[in-house]
Amino acid sequence: MNRSIYCALLLICSIEAGASLKVFTCESEWAALTKTIGGDLVNVFSATSANQDPHFIEARPSLIARVRRADLLVCSGAGLEAGWLPLLLRKSANPKVQPGTSGHFIATSHVNLLEKPATIDRSRGDVHAAGNPHVHLDPDRMLIIGRALRDRIGQLRPESAAQLDDNFRDFENELTSMLERHSVEILKLAGTNIVVHHNSWVYLTDWLQLNQVATIEPKPGIPPTSSFLASLVGQLSSISVKYIIRAGYQNPRASKWLAGRIETPVKALPYSPENWETEGALILWYKRILEALVLKGEPE
Amino acid sequence: MNLDGLDPGILGPAFVAGLLVLTTHIPLGQEVIRRGIIFIDLAIAQFAGVGVILAATLGFETHGIEVQAIALTSALVGAALLDLMERRVGEYQEALIGVSFVLAATASILLLAGNPQGGEHLRELLVGQILWVEWHQLVIPAVISVTVILSWHFLPRLLRGHGFYFLFALSITASVQLVGVYLVFASLIIPALATIRIEDSQRATILALVTGALAYALGLTLSAVMDLPSGASIVWVMAVCGVLVASLSRWLPLFAREL
Repeated sequence: MNRSIYCALLLICSIEAGASLKVFTCESEWAALTKTIGGDLVNVFSATSANQDPHFIEARPSLIARVRRADLLVCSGAGLEAGWLPLLLRKSANPKVQPGTSGHFIATSHVNLLEKPATIDRSRGDVHAAGNPHVHLDPDRMLIIGRALRDRIGQLRPESAAQLDDNFRDFENELTSMLERHSVEILKLAGTNIVVHHNSWVYLTDWLQLNQVATIEPKPGIPPTSSFLASLVGQLSSISVKYIIRAGYQNPRASKWLAGRIETPVKALPYSPENWETEGALILWYKRILEALVLKGEPE
Repeated sequence: MNLDGLDPGILGPAFVAGLLVLTTHIPLGQEVIRRGIIFIDLAIAQFAGVGVILAATLGFETHGIEVQAIALTSALVGAALLDLMERRVGEYQEALIGVSFVLAATASILLLAGNPQGGEHLRELLVGQILWVEWHQLVIPAVISVTVILSWHFLPRLLRGHGFYFLFALSITASVQLVGVYLVFASLIIPALATIRIEDSQRATILALVTGALAYALGLTLSAVMDLPSGASIVWVMAVCGVLVASLSRWLPLFAREL
C-alpha cells in the first residue's frame, strides 16, 4: 500500500519535472511574455500582480518555495527589485537561478535604458548606474527582450527551440499588426503634453513621442514641497496639458489635486498586463493603453 | 491551500528569530506595561532611524556595521533622553514618549527631503521582514538576548532602574531590523498583557513565552498554508493566543497555578 503510493508520487513528480520549465517572474509583464513564448513548455508564477507596486513586496513563505524550485527567473532588474530580490535569491539558495547563471534572466540588460545618470553616484556603493527600469511600456523593447527570452528558454530546453521560435514569431506578428492597425492614432498622439505622477512612464513617452512636461512627485516616496507645487501650477497654467497620467496602483490624491487646479483629466493607466495567464494579455494591455489615451479623456 | 511553503529551511530561521525576540521582549514588555509607556518601542526604533539618516545627510558613507553602530548610538541617545525625562517629569512620560515618536518620525521626513537615498536605510531599519532572516543573522541577536537575560536575572534592579532604557534600546534596535516594528510591538505587549493577572511572576513569564512561541509557530504555519504575509499573520495569531491564554488563566485559576 505505502509502496504503491510512493511509486505514484514518484511518477507524478518525475512527470512534472520532465514536462515543464518552472519560471518565477518578478512582474506580471514578464509572466505574460514568458507564457506567450514558452506556451505549454513553461509553468509560470508571478511574484507581483498588475496592481501592485513592484518596488516593495511582503514576504510570504510561498515566494521562497517558488524560487527554490524554479528553473528560470525573469525580472526587470536595474534596481527595480533591489529591495527584495537579492534577499529572496539568497534565502532560496537555488543555484540554478543565481545571478550569472543561465537561469537568471534580467530584462533590462537586453535593451538600452533611458535616464542613465550622467555621473555615477558613489554614495550607493555599487558602480552600476542602471537607468530607468520600466522598459515594458515600450513594445519595441518588449520585442527585443522577447527575442532574448526565446533564446534563453531555448538554451534550457534545446529540444524545443523550433516551437519557441514559432511562438515568438506569432507574438511578433500579432503585436506589429496591432500597432499598424493603430498607426494613425499613434502618430496623432505624438507631441501630446502630459504630466505624470511619478517619473515611471519614460518608455511610454519614448514610444508614443509624448511630451512629458512635469512630474508631480519628483522624488519617489517624498511628498512634494508646497513651493514645488506652487511653481508646478504656475508653470502649467501657461501650457496646455492633455492628460495627467498615473499608474493604477498609485494613490489618486496627488493627481486629483492637480487636476482640479489646472482643469485637466486624470488617466489611470494599467501599469502592467492584468490576467497575464490569458492568451494575448500583453497585446491587449498595449491596446488598452492606446485606447485610453486616444479616446476623449473623461476624468478617471 | 498551498503546502510548498511548509519547508523547515524557510520557516526555521524565522521561528528561531521569533523565539530570540520573545526572550528579551517579554521581560521588557512586562516592565513597559508596569510603567505604562507602551509606545516606547516605536519611539526608540524611530530614534535609530533618524540617526542613520542624519549620518547619510552629513555625508558619511555608511555600510553594514557602521549603520548598525550609528543606529544603536542614536537609539541609546534617545533612551538617555527618555530616562532624563522620566526623572524630571515622570508623570507625563507616556505623552512625552508619544511626542518624541512623532518628532523623530517627522525629522526623518525632513532630512530625507534633501537626501532621498537615506530612505532605503530607513526602510531596512524599520520594516525588517521575518521571512528574510538567515541563520547567520541570528548570532548578534542571540548575544543580545543572552546579555539581557543575564542582566535581568542577576541585576534585576538594573531593569527596574536606569538600566531599563539602555537594555530596551539595545534589544529594540536589533529586533526591529530582524522582524519589523509590528512584530516587535506585538511580542512586547501581547504575551505580557495576556499573563498580567498571574501573580507569580516566574509562572507569568513562562506562560507568556509559551504563548508567544505558539503564536510564532502557528502564525508561520498559517502564512505558509494560506499564502499570506508572515509578519501580519503572526501578529493576528498572537492576539488570538493572547485572548485564549488570558481567559483560560482567568476562568481556570488552577490552570495558572498548576503550570
